[in-house]
Amino acid sequence: MKGYGFDARIGRLMIVMTYIAVGLLVVGVVLMLANGISPLDGAPTFDIHAIPDALKAGAPVGFLWLGLIAVIATPLVRVAVSAVGFAREGQWRMVAIGAGILLVIAVGIASSLVLEH
Amino acid sequence: MIVGVLMLVGGAAAGVFGSLLGLGGGVLIVPLLTLGFGLPLREAVGVSLVSVIMTSSAAAGVYLERHVANLRLGMSLELFTAFGALIGGSVAFLLDERLLALLFAVLSGYIALTMIRRRTETGPQPTGGEGEPDGYVVHDMPKGIVGATFAGIISALLGVGGGIVKVPLMNLVMGVPLRVATATSNLMIGITAAASAVIYLSRGEIDPYVAGPTAIGVFLGATLGSRIAPRVDLRYLRAAFVVVLVYTSFEMLMKAIG
Repeated sequence: MKGYGFDARIGRLMIVMTYIAVGLLVVGVVLMLANGISPLDGAPTFDIHAIPDALKAGAPVGFLWLGLIAVIATPLVRVAVSAVGFAREGQWRMVAIGAGILLVIAVGIASSLVLEH
Repeated sequence: MIVGVLMLVGGAAAGVFGSLLGLGGGVLIVPLLTLGFGLPLREAVGVSLVSVIMTSSAAAGVYLERHVANLRLGMSLELFTAFGALIGGSVAFLLDERLLALLFAVLSGYIALTMIRRRTETGPQPTGGEGEPDGYVVHDMPKGIVGATFAGIISALLGVGGGIVKVPLMNLVMGVPLRVATATSNLMIGITAAASAVIYLSRGEIDPYVAGPTAIGVFLGATLGSRIAPRVDLRYLRAAFVVVLVYTSFEMLMKAIG
């Protein structure tokens, strides 16, 4: 049984990821305010391929998108890492539950992308 | 620039309020953005979901480190909250915004009533037991599954964490001690909100210029709230919160009526 040490490691991972996300969002908001951009101006639509170029150009939207992805990814990474940990312990029921959660989310992304196009 | 700062401050206020009163803050962020800044309801819901994930992840991390949250129970129920959120997130785009406003009015009114009732209740709470994560037996899983699915739908439709459903569900129905139920609900909020946030993100309903300052504000406010909680008299704060909720419920009702 993995026990409390396993839970604590997952907890630390979540805290670290949250602070990384906060850091990215703070950089984005500071750049946004420094460039005189109002939140009501309307940002470019989400395009994952445009993020690297926006980051290279120091555009606030690049840091904001990356920060938001990090925010949303934090609980997903927690589930994935937990599932791997449970697999090492042979707790296959928990592994199946973790895989099921990620599958439901993947279906959500796929269906919304299909509907958008 | 001033609007950005106002969003940050507004988010911080929602974070402080939510943290002191044990709520995720989503129930305040949606009205802040729609009634305060004139954003469309669906866009406000998308931003609220991101803010809720951020505060829940930070708090859940601490709860896991301190061994208060039940990771296995949380993951088992998350499968169904995620499924509910998938349904809610998809249905949200089919519903008229006025219907969503009506649902939000009902939710705000319900939370206000719950807080008034809690304030007038005297004597020992029937289910307020504290306990170590191992000192209890989880039961009635089928009801837990149904409740968790419902919580996911509500969360995705209205941009709230769904703790208002999950905590009583685990505590009253499944026999989980209140402290563990609260911590596990916090853990589950992340996946619940993430499951619908990806749908809002894919469909272009999350504006990073709005989400950035609001989410940072909520995070800072929630952090501050958790630190000052022991020194704050919650009676007055709860009364103020009820007033805000009743006002929100009325305004959302007006929005729904058109």
